[in-house]
Amino acid sequence: MLEMWLGGLQGLLHLDVLGFVFLGMVIGLVFGAIPGLGGTTAIALLMPLTYGLEPFTALALAGGVMGAVPMGGSITSILLNTPGTAPNAATCLDGHPLAQQGKAGLAIGAAGSANAIGAIIGTVSVLAVLPIASDLVLMFGPPEFFLMGLFALAIVATATRGKMLRGLVVGALGLMIAFVGFNDVAGGERFTYGIEYLWDGIHLVPALIGLFAVAEMIHLMVKGGSVAQSGSPVKITKMTAGLLEVFKHMPTVIRGSLIGTIVGAIPGLGGTVVAFLSYSVTAQASKNPESFGKGNIQGVIAPEAAICAHDCSALIPTLTFGIPAGAEMAVFMGLLIIHGMQPGPLMLRDHQVEIYGLIWALTASCVLASFVGLLFVKPLAKITQLDSGILVPLVLSTAFAGSFAIDMAIENVIVTAVFGCLGYLMMRYDYPRLMIVVALVLGANTERNFHQSMLMGEGGWSIFLNRPISVGLMIAIAAVLCLPIFRGVFNQLRVRKLAAERSGP
Amino acid sequence: MQDITRRNVVIGAGAAASALTFTGVARSAPVFPAKNIQFVIPYAPGGGFDVYVRIVAPVMEKYLPNKVTIVPVNVPSGGGSRGVAQLYRAKPDGYTIGILNIPGMFILQQQQGSGAYDLAKFSWIGAMGEGERYVINVGAKSPLKTFADLKALSAKRPIKLSVTGPEGTAYAASVIGTQLLGLRTQLITGYKGSADYVVAAVRGDSDAVIAAIPTSMRFVRGGTVRVLASFEAKSSFPGVPDATTLGQPDLDNISVERVVAGPPGIPPEVQNTLSVALAKALADPVVVKWAKENDVVMRSKTPQETTQLVAQQRAFFDKWKKYLTPS
Repeated sequence: MLEMWLGGLQGLLHLDVLGFVFLGMVIGLVFGAIPGLGGTTAIALLMPLTYGLEPFTALALAGGVMGAVPMGGSITSILLNTPGTAPNAATCLDGHPLAQQGKAGLAIGAAGSANAIGAIIGTVSVLAVLPIASDLVLMFGPPEFFLMGLFALAIVATATRGKMLRGLVVGALGLMIAFVGFNDVAGGERFTYGIEYLWDGIHLVPALIGLFAVAEMIHLMVKGGSVAQSGSPVKITKMTAGLLEVFKHMPTVIRGSLIGTIVGAIPGLGGTVVAFLSYSVTAQASKNPESFGKGNIQGVIAPEAAICAHDCSALIPTLTFGIPAGAEMAVFMGLLIIHGMQPGPLMLRDHQVEIYGLIWALTASCVLASFVGLLFVKPLAKITQLDSGILVPLVLSTAFAGSFAIDMAIENVIVTAVFGCLGYLMMRYDYPRLMIVVALVLGANTERNFHQSMLMGEGGWSIFLNRPISVGLMIAIAAVLCLPIFRGVFNQLRVRKLAAERSGP
Repeated sequence: MQDITRRNVVIGAGAAASALTFTGVARSAPVFPAKNIQFVIPYAPGGGFDVYVRIVAPVMEKYLPNKVTIVPVNVPSGGGSRGVAQLYRAKPDGYTIGILNIPGMFILQQQQGSGAYDLAKFSWIGAMGEGERYVINVGAKSPLKTFADLKALSAKRPIKLSVTGPEGTAYAASVIGTQLLGLRTQLITGYKGSADYVVAAVRGDSDAVIAAIPTSMRFVRGGTVRVLASFEAKSSFPGVPDATTLGQPDLDNISVERVVAGPPGIPPEVQNTLSVALAKALADPVVVKWAKENDVVMRSKTPQETTQLVAQQRAFFDKWKKYLTPS
């Protein structure tokens, strides 16, 4: 076992292999930072160029790309409120308010070290879990996936505290949008109005670009001025403070990393859910949840740690069973197959050195990218001081071009525009965008798993009660939904007690 | 990096070749191809069809009369129909070809009712290997040991089978196969990919799963599934009943074909050039080695053989069409 870990590390420590990890990292940072591109596009574009490489080197390159994408994505999220990749959408929620307060350096520094620590925790967990990984994947069937979806929705709904009703309205809208497209279980199409594009549903990335990037630019255009509201220059000096800030919030980092690792190992939920889940749980656990969404540094650390940990553990279902945990992993699987490695039960036996090499490359790139990314922050942070007259057209054209580039479909651009308007209206009238994202990501899968559970249980509900994990999840959902009530009662009691003390003798 | 330079050289050579043709110096040299060829893949990068094209395309380049590059282009929208429509409408000059899933495209068109293309009219060029046949698998820990056990279970209650949604070829294979074998089934639909529905059977979501042989082999070798019956005419699994011994030779018609085609009306000599290059590519050691590692048989077909294959699949599919429309 240990031999194999070291074998993988040894394979990586050749100058040319390290060179490819570094090349992958630079590509990952750039593709991560440009909205709409992300790791999926980067690996798809690199695939033909890896023909001539040794399989090990090709994996090192891919690991380099995948490790660096979250860091690149977080920079754009924080500076421009535009998620570089879908999972970074969670980083926008607090990262951008921090940038507006002139603390972009602090936020990016914190994102960087959260990434690095998340990756390390994720790697250690994966190395420990890999030998028993296949059993873990087999424990989750449709009933568990359905309940996991509900669990994620419940947690996020309670995080929109004080705006619960608005959260629910937006969540329902998101679910309805998620049902557009082909019905996987029964066949036939829904809400497609004869438009071929809608067959595959509303594509997530163009919708996210609209909800965040375009909405933000409309907002900026209406408001005028620059992103950073304070006239003073951005204090990039705080970057080191940001790096260290993470160590003041170790519980947040560890919680985020563990959420990322565990959920990553379960195929089908993906990085976006992981990031939002980690964000919401952190907001729940915090002593002053009201500060989230207004520039709480923990709101940056939690999702960023989770994303990197998730990227490591998402390898588990991909490698052990060939079930990709998301689009990025699906493309990565293609790369494996081209190099003669068929993901599946045999892969863990036949290609151990390559697998461990890949994990090392991924981690090395995650850690390295955090530091290299920081070098670019100073010039990039100036973006927040650009006048809206310059910034808006720049970002809008990048956003629309990125949206088109995903799969060369002009309809993507329309989706981005529509969701941009929707996103702006939601900002304007104070509806939480968090819920719509989570509902969009989870809607279709959760519904499909519900129908599959029903088919498995021959129409009876008992299927949810006969499986231990499923029962555990139901209890967890109930607990999450009751938490705000308990907290309310508790607060009231405390207020009464205080009042009684005051009116006492 | 090395690859980029090679590509530049290739493009340069292609340009030079076309320049020569233009000035008439190389009158006797073949005119086609004079520029890069687009290879349309109507699915996203990373899937089975994508991988086949990305393995074969760079090898196929070598066997074309002039040096040009074959560029894979993914057009995944609309369940694949956009890519097919794009291929159908392309100029029939041989510079746009594509890979089609048969019978997947019949099913898609039936479900979608798309009139944007007529599958009977494509210029068929060849096929990427023999069609993949199916087998019935159960999880390694399943109490079902033989096909007879499965049959006995079906007499008691419908067998649960994990499959894709009704748009998938595995759905068609499961429905037609069990109809032919007289098995009662309850389909658990909606799994996303081949690995997904095989794992569902291993996990116990379903009693059994009908999957293509290359997919199944990965799990058989890993010891996670057991094959109970094969739909091949002659079983490649020792001791496992096949279409012949089960008395249902029609089972062998259930397959997935990866057919290469161009838009209607490609000149026969161009069609032939492409077909010959494809056949040579599939016999190339690089492709043969890859095919062996992945349990597929690589042999191409002539345009005539391919046309015949598609027509035969069409007739077989039409016979079963009524069972494939979900209620």
